[in-house]
Amino acid sequence: MVRLKTQNTARQSNKTTNEAIIKLEDVSTVYEGARRTAIKNVNLTVKRNELVYVVGPNAAGKTTLLETINGMLPTFKGKASVFGLNVQTHARQVRCEIGYVPQDFMVKPGEPYTALDVVLMGRYGQIGFLHHPSKADKAEALEAMKLIGVETLADRPMGKLSGGQQQKVMLARALAKNPRILLLDEPFSNLDPDSRGQIPTLITKLHQEKGLTTLIVTHDIHHMLDQCSRVVVVSGGRITFDGTPEKALPLVENHPHTTSLEATHH
Amino acid sequence: MGLIGVFVVRMRLSAIGYSMSHGAFAGAALGVATATNPLLTGLLFASGTAFLIGPIADKARLHADTITSIVFPLNMALAFVFLTLVPEVGLSSQVANVLWGSIISMTNADLVYLVTLFAATLAIVYFVWKELFAIMFNRKLAEADGINTKPFIYLIIFLAGVVVTFSLKLVGGLLIYALLFNPASTVLQFSENMRKVVVASPLVGMATTVSGLFVSLFFDLPVGSCIVIVSTIVFAVALLLSPKRRRKEENEK
Repeated sequence: MVRLKTQNTARQSNKTTNEAIIKLEDVSTVYEGARRTAIKNVNLTVKRNELVYVVGPNAAGKTTLLETINGMLPTFKGKASVFGLNVQTHARQVRCEIGYVPQDFMVKPGEPYTALDVVLMGRYGQIGFLHHPSKADKAEALEAMKLIGVETLADRPMGKLSGGQQQKVMLARALAKNPRILLLDEPFSNLDPDSRGQIPTLITKLHQEKGLTTLIVTHDIHHMLDQCSRVVVVSGGRITFDGTPEKALPLVENHPHTTSLEATHH
Repeated sequence: MGLIGVFVVRMRLSAIGYSMSHGAFAGAALGVATATNPLLTGLLFASGTAFLIGPIADKARLHADTITSIVFPLNMALAFVFLTLVPEVGLSSQVANVLWGSIISMTNADLVYLVTLFAATLAIVYFVWKELFAIMFNRKLAEADGINTKPFIYLIIFLAGVVVTFSLKLVGGLLIYALLFNPASTVLQFSENMRKVVVASPLVGMATTVSGLFVSLFFDLPVGSCIVIVSTIVFAVALLLSPKRRRKEENEK
């Protein structure tokens, strides 16, 4: 019940156009470990239906920024809210509204999970404690797979799928919960040439058809640049640029560490 | 035991690094039994264990933790078998029971406890299966989907503790690892479906326990040690026959 209520409030407030959905106010990391890059005094407001590109060199703090939004960063200074809900005190409600695809996620061959198992897990947070996934949940998961075009892979073991197929299954997993926000961490890495063309098209389609507010973290600005409405450049843990793609391109291209995928992989 | 083992293995909660010292222990026991220098045989066993763990972990593509947890009780079991071969070893039967277990000393009450515990574990796993399944797949992703993972990890650690304590009489405190790890690791060699793994692991556990019991009666050796040795042999055979490993080797060629 609590979940439904919060979801409804979140969805109602979502109807207001141009409303700030994600709001980071003066956010800085407190502990700087080897696993997380620090971010310093980050201010970011994302409005409904925006498609934002977060670019910057490796270890600039892009992933940390995403993890702040879905409340995965355990402690930080400043304020972070999604749909007006504090990401730390309302972590579960916030996460149920966010579809998240982490960076470099690959399941090893032989792991005992089918693609459908993995997609269905995306709904687990919403199903609630002590409840098992219902037929409706399974139908939603299959629907998400159909949307991405991976429904034929449903019964295949996850570890036997190619990098591109796994990436699509992870995208379906993120969509299975019917999120309002999509957070994608380096969705173009680890892709075979076929998928490299398909994934950007898929993301654009999802953004347009489902009206998903989308944040894409990437070190490569060239993919989908024409589709995004806004580019945020992160460098050394700070936001150094926030504006249109046209203005961002010369800035990023001059940066020695931010290269195109083609340059990195070939 | 086999049931909880699935989660302990998949969540990588297994202990690290006990194997070496116990390899030395098994070696020393062999030294005493065969009247050779225990230091020499101990050294041989310890270095043998060290050489085994790395390559087996590589070849089997299992986490080194899992291999360690299988080699550790195997060494202990061997040590106890060697020790029983020495006529002068005068451990009191009570001490012996705690160390390597005795099925004969099990009372009806113990049996009732074990059955109740099994039913309770089964029920708990049934009700929180969804959360456990997601955490085993990837804890971080489970968190990102809105599952609070900490209580479930603690639950598994707690259950493992309770199960180990209640099974103490059967296999003994030092060999208990084998019953926790071997069945789950054996079944994981064959199945790509986690639900089947969860059903099959306790069955494999039961089968190896019963076989171990017969081996023990037949050769007049400690029950716990025999169960551990049988379940380790079963795991080794599973490793050799595993279709998962074979497919990978073919892919590499």
